[in-house]
Amino acid sequence: MANLLWLQGGACSGNTMSFLNAEEPSACDLVTDFGINILWQPSLGLELGDNVKTILQKCISGEIKLDIFVFEGTVINAPNGTGEWNRFCGRPMKEWVKELSDAADFVVAIGDCATYGGIPAMAPNPTESVGMQFLKRAKGGSLGAGFKSKSGLPVINIPGCPAHPDWVTQILVAVATGRAGDLTLDEFHRPKTFFSSFTQTGCTRNMHFAYKVSTTAFGQRKGCLFYDLGCRGPMTHSPCNRILWNRHSSKTRAGMPCLGCTEPEFPFFDLNPGTVFKTQTVMGVPKDMPTGVDKVGYIKLTAAAKGMAPAWAEEDIFVV
Amino acid sequence: MDMEALRQDIATRLAAGLETEVWPRAGTSEEVNAIVRRLQVEAGDDLVKKLVISGFTDHTIEAEDMPQPCETCMYYKVHARFCDLPELMLPVEPEWSCRLWRI
Repeated sequence: MANLLWLQGGACSGNTMSFLNAEEPSACDLVTDFGINILWQPSLGLELGDNVKTILQKCISGEIKLDIFVFEGTVINAPNGTGEWNRFCGRPMKEWVKELSDAADFVVAIGDCATYGGIPAMAPNPTESVGMQFLKRAKGGSLGAGFKSKSGLPVINIPGCPAHPDWVTQILVAVATGRAGDLTLDEFHRPKTFFSSFTQTGCTRNMHFAYKVSTTAFGQRKGCLFYDLGCRGPMTHSPCNRILWNRHSSKTRAGMPCLGCTEPEFPFFDLNPGTVFKTQTVMGVPKDMPTGVDKVGYIKLTAAAKGMAPAWAEEDIFVV
Repeated sequence: MDMEALRQDIATRLAAGLETEVWPRAGTSEEVNAIVRRLQVEAGDDLVKKLVISGFTDHTIEAEDMPQPCETCMYYKVHARFCDLPELMLPVEPEWSCRLWRI
């Protein structure tokens, strides 16, 4: 039996909603089949007020063994570093986060806010929000760059806005069943098993990417969303087109450009007008290239591929 | 007017010296957005205004050491010889150019 405690900071509850939609295993399966004992969770916990506080205090004292501490949302430091804007059970949430993280065998940050700060931490960041161990790309965050939980691992980051339920449940199951040693994390503490490939990996529009045919308006089923509509699929690490959403689709498959929500910089360009759903360019060349591709190579490849594009690539081949 | 006739009509206008806003090229996304907005607001379905605002030429323009022919533009449909930018939607030739070129 592994005890799990889940708290929320500066959050919209989106990751809780995503988690509750998990299937195979479901949130219930985690309890019945994988021995995860959910001590408390904001949407599932039965306790209120002082009874919640008692659970937290027992976790910190060691009276209740805390195997997995999950945090969703940013750690709020406002005003002036006090954290008073996000009080929970009688004290700033940031203080609970610190003491519970020190007490836990494993600490898991779920969603972009808890991992890197996400939307609450975008400029001017009035809530002084940070992620658990990062603020955007900068190491540190709330717990500090050198933090390691009792297991010896840093915070395990599962980013996303929200994180896919399978990413959450599979990591929780791995940790709860003693297979944490199988996890390898990248430089941003993301499990490599999910975050080494790109959102573009498995995208149904890849043939249009290859032949440099652009989607020019929403609703088109032809074309690639990268060239004009700001899709970040070629430079975002996520398995969104390998582990499908609701088991059958993804943003890009549905015609929605990837927003890059598993990367530390999300939301990109601080959501300034004209930057959302629009590929940013400098003299006609995309400002952000597909990962590993330089400007000269991109221009050569594009010119060659466009010249070779077959006629079908320019048509809507999905029309029945 | 069919596409071939329209392409010829555009070619004739450009060859006759239609003055278009070739410069400045759209260097930044903000400049692209500004030109596209003008196309939406000022041009509508007016062919000449489309050509003028987008800076059409019947030859390739080079900007910052980079040739900008329709042929390599992301909005160009090779087989149809057609500009697929929603605000333009015009038949073109591969060696033509406009300041909304993007690759």
